[in-house]
Amino acid sequence: MTGRMDAQESARVTARAGRRSAARVRPWRVVARVTRIVGLRRYVIGALLWAPVSVLPLLSGLVLQRLFDHVSAQRVVAIGEPLWLCAALVGVEIVRGLVMVIAWVYGTYWWDAAATVLRANPLRSVLTARGAAAGRLPHSSGEAVARLRDDTADLVQLTDDIVSLVGAALFSAAALVIMAAIDPVVTLVLLVPMAAIGVLNRLLRGVVQRRHRRARVLGAMVTGFVGDVFGGVLAIKTAGAEDAVLRRLRERNRARRDAAVRDRLAAGLLETGTGAAVEISIGLVLLLAAPAMRRGAFTVGDLALFTGYAGWLAALPRTAGSMLSRLPQAAVAVERLTRLMASHEDATDLTRPGEVWFTRRPPSAAATPPGHDDPLEVLDARGLTVRHGHGRGVRDVDLRLARGSFTVVTGAVGAGKTTLVRALLGLAPLDAGTITWNGRPVADPGTFLVPGRAAYAGQVPRLFSESLRENLLLGHPGDGRRGGGGDAQIMRALELSVLDREVAAMADGLDTVVGPRGVRLSGGQVQRATAARALVRSPDLLVVDDLSSALDVETERLLWDRIAAAARDGSGPGTLLVVSHRRAVLERADQVVVLDRGRVAGRGTLTELLESCPEMRRLWTGELLVEAEEAR
Amino acid sequence: MTAPDSTAAHGAAAPSPDHAPGGSRGRIASPGTPASRRDILRSFRPAPRAAAGLITGIGAATALPLAAPQLTRRFVDDAIGGAGLRHLTLVALGYLALAVAGQAARLLAAWLAGGLAWDGTNRLRERLAEHALGLDMAFHGRRTPGEMIERVDGDVVAVADFAVAFLMDVVAGFLLLVGVLAVVLATDARLGGVLLVYCALIGLLMARTQRLAVPSATRARAASAVVFGTLEERLAGVEDIRANGAGAQAVARFQQVSAEMYRAEVRADKVRSALLAGTSVAFAAGTALVLGLAAWGRQSGALTVGTAVLLFQYTQMVRTPLERLIDQLKQYQTALAGIARIGELLAERRTLPGPAAPRPLPAAGALGLRLRGVGFAYPGDGARVLSDVTLSLAPGETLGLVGRTGSGKSTVARLLLRLYDPVEGTVAVGGVDLRDTAPASLRRRVCVVTQDVQLFAATVRDNLTLFRPLADDGRLRAVLEEVGLGEWLAGLPDGLDTELTGHAGPADHTEQDEPLMRHTGLSAGEAQLLAFARAFLADPGLVILDEASSRLDPATERHVERVTGRLLAGRTGVLIAHRLSSLSRVDTIAVLDGGAVVEYGRRTDLAADPASRFAHLLHAAGVRA
Repeated sequence: MTGRMDAQESARVTARAGRRSAARVRPWRVVARVTRIVGLRRYVIGALLWAPVSVLPLLSGLVLQRLFDHVSAQRVVAIGEPLWLCAALVGVEIVRGLVMVIAWVYGTYWWDAAATVLRANPLRSVLTARGAAAGRLPHSSGEAVARLRDDTADLVQLTDDIVSLVGAALFSAAALVIMAAIDPVVTLVLLVPMAAIGVLNRLLRGVVQRRHRRARVLGAMVTGFVGDVFGGVLAIKTAGAEDAVLRRLRERNRARRDAAVRDRLAAGLLETGTGAAVEISIGLVLLLAAPAMRRGAFTVGDLALFTGYAGWLAALPRTAGSMLSRLPQAAVAVERLTRLMASHEDATDLTRPGEVWFTRRPPSAAATPPGHDDPLEVLDARGLTVRHGHGRGVRDVDLRLARGSFTVVTGAVGAGKTTLVRALLGLAPLDAGTITWNGRPVADPGTFLVPGRAAYAGQVPRLFSESLRENLLLGHPGDGRRGGGGDAQIMRALELSVLDREVAAMADGLDTVVGPRGVRLSGGQVQRATAARALVRSPDLLVVDDLSSALDVETERLLWDRIAAAARDGSGPGTLLVVSHRRAVLERADQVVVLDRGRVAGRGTLTELLESCPEMRRLWTGELLVEAEEAR
Repeated sequence: MTAPDSTAAHGAAAPSPDHAPGGSRGRIASPGTPASRRDILRSFRPAPRAAAGLITGIGAATALPLAAPQLTRRFVDDAIGGAGLRHLTLVALGYLALAVAGQAARLLAAWLAGGLAWDGTNRLRERLAEHALGLDMAFHGRRTPGEMIERVDGDVVAVADFAVAFLMDVVAGFLLLVGVLAVVLATDARLGGVLLVYCALIGLLMARTQRLAVPSATRARAASAVVFGTLEERLAGVEDIRANGAGAQAVARFQQVSAEMYRAEVRADKVRSALLAGTSVAFAAGTALVLGLAAWGRQSGALTVGTAVLLFQYTQMVRTPLERLIDQLKQYQTALAGIARIGELLAERRTLPGPAAPRPLPAAGALGLRLRGVGFAYPGDGARVLSDVTLSLAPGETLGLVGRTGSGKSTVARLLLRLYDPVEGTVAVGGVDLRDTAPASLRRRVCVVTQDVQLFAATVRDNLTLFRPLADDGRLRAVLEEVGLGEWLAGLPDGLDTELTGHAGPADHTEQDEPLMRHTGLSAGEAQLLAFARAFLADPGLVILDEASSRLDPATERHVERVTGRLLAGRTGVLIAHRLSSLSRVDTIAVLDGGAVVEYGRRTDLAADPASRFAHLLHAAGVRA
């Protein structure tokens, strides 16, 4: 069995590695796909709109050339033509400005739409695709957000850079032709500093990015330390450790300063290098054109044109150099984003063209949950196995939940209780095992064991920064109406979860904005709100992970009384699966499953287990001692 | 109440070797006006040598670019005049040298300015952190860590950004601008006058119009913050969403906030691009004006060709500094707001007065405690949290505090730690009224182990000692062994130097078995034991234990209880109990309800009396009495 699983495991690892390396070698193809993400037509139109913005300076240069030729003419000519040329200079800039506004605003749609699709695809995959999301997400949600923010921006930026590159190339080609017609030798020599700019950008960009990243990391460390310190201010103050903490802050501050100054220096070097190359170009033009100017073959107008174009020409090598250094980063971005996708999806799904609803209303997402015509009779799980690192996880666990039963999973810390229910619900990836619903096999528990079949109140529940009503419904239709009597279903769920009085006492009731940016609820309130969220969906099976840990004895008893009563009269979920090590819960259970280091150590009622299961006895000795002592 | 300056407390505590906590507060000035702007900006004042270097750098960065066009003029005029090739080559080489040196000088000045600004930022941040740490819990209780990050870090960065920009863009830009105008005025007074008027007009116009972009840009930033906030919350709650079948709704919600962001950005980009285009046109108009006048001057023979080229080059040089100057006007507002908020924070004062004649607690041995008629309400909130609480405990005894959430148990603990002063009555530890106790001695002799253990993104050693040089590694290892973390320590890759990742706020707890686990390498139980280790290191005479109520299985809990027993041996203990089983060790029990002691007596007596609340609680928990 181990052998089979090892083979499976290694196959998966290879598949994943293969996918990753595949992503690494083809950033160009991904970039090409990103250009099509909101339709290729829009991208091409956007690029065409930008082209005049890059190319029109050619015209300004030619106008200046003629103007200076007039000014330098030995014979004094009429003032009329120079004035017309001056007007033309302004006219060209007006046209360029108008085109720029249009192209910019048009480009904003494209930029935002592409980024939104690139973000929505992984988000949809994480939240709805088959297979558990747990393995794909990074350690912190903050890092996941950073990927969805920065990595997508990197990819879109790269496609955006192509537009600038094309514009710069168009300008450069035309400018070189014009310049070569005037003086081919000087033109040819000018290519040298331009090439230097390209090389400089290619080489230094990487250094700049590395230093920038380091400065950011050290900056985040200082910010994190400040957050840590004020988050742990109680510990620091009660221990009198203020001065030590400040010393540490000073050290971190210094490290950050050094990195930040180095970061600026690298960026400054790149900027200065580019600027110096342009100046060198102008110097070279002066040097080389001197003989021709003496002869009169190279006019002052030509000089104005050459020096003007030199600045604009620098855009091409600069853009090309920075793009080349951006490519490897794009490959990393693709790889990191693809890792968020489900195992059956790849970079193609990441860049799948999608819809955005920037200008019209999105279709209603509050669709009625798929009704199921197969109410729970028996849920049977066999051989559930999840292999975490370090020997944690669960091994070969069988679980049978009959309609109307109350099952409690218990065990020591790290025994795998939470892993077991998460695996059952498809939240953690299952390495082996089968699950059947009324005898029919469940292919993907993650998308099958959802409301109205099952609902879940987790151990570390989350509320979102929205109204309590929205938090409980999460798109569930509820009663369809707001306020007044329309909230009956929510109120019923709140009553079952013993949160009704507290909500009634809130000034805004169900409209109270909760979550990180709203009213802060206590730990117990959050847990009960999560239970209400599950209950409002009227599932057949209610799965609760350690709901009562932040509740006092009385509230806890009331909660289980109400849920049990609702189960009996059919107004609440009939079947319960609960993780707990609380005596009050264990005594209610029809079936207690004792886990020990991931394996089932015993199964039965509490009384049976206390007789037959050594692990159960080990867990409960302490409590029994108290009982004996108090009874004296 | 006249607040005696806390410097007095500091001075009196000085003989004791550990005067850390008083130190930072001693420097807080007596209550007064918010710190002045000048006072705050003083942090940014550079050392004389650095200042001299900076002035030289900025001077060179201004003078060199100003000189370069003079050579172009020379070159053009001399080339037309038929000067020798050698001469022209020398002029061209001179231009090259000047221009490249100008770039280098600018780089140098920027580097120096950056270093100075960062030094100033760091000084200011440290000063703010020091000040804020010295404030009472009455201050911190009202603020989230996120808010404090914004106040101690965010505002400072806003000021620092402006300080760098001020040196490089405002000072250097202004100098360059003035230089250009002066040179042009000297070259041709009429043209110089025109350029001056033009610069003033366009500067005024830009300053006016740039402000138009601010509201829409602010809204766009806010909309973007909403998008990423929404994403963050949804990604943190993946399992809540998936298991409740709410994925599609969450994606739709993301689309909705993205659309709002798009609408805000389009509005902002319209303004932004129009302003940019308008500025470009205005500068083109300025160039055209100067060139037209130059052509006219040529016609009348007043100007050489080289001077026309020179004027053109100078006109081109005005744009960048002018744009940067105007841009800084916007930053100036932000920086001012930042400075104002920094001033407010520095104006915050401690509410707990330092003792006039501080008395140290007994240096060794268990400490008794006595609460007499204590009443309390949190500042800024009229509701009574405690009323007429009277409790006493002999040295070495243990008191169990029982009661529902909100009954006032934790408040009693906070008063014992003097995080607050009672509104009425007295709290005395070791026979000393806490109002008269030397702060350092209080911190050393009274120790608290809280339910949610506060961990830091730092090494195991730092987490144990809270960054203080408390004990050698041998002692730290021994203490970890004592609380039962010896095996855990042995399993760490770098031993005491292993970095824990800290708790980066609630947003970072994801879907694991034990949420702490993934981020710190510590399970909830292990974190609890680490907190005990901190207490063992401190060797206090009074221990306040806010018992961990959640996520400990009975086996781990029993281990924690054994360690509790060891910690309380020979010490006085106050136990905020969430479990009845842990009350088996206490000598007396106080049942709190609504901030009042409703039952108080020896545990054995209360358990034996079937009419007592305590016995009722035991019964409710299923312990058959």
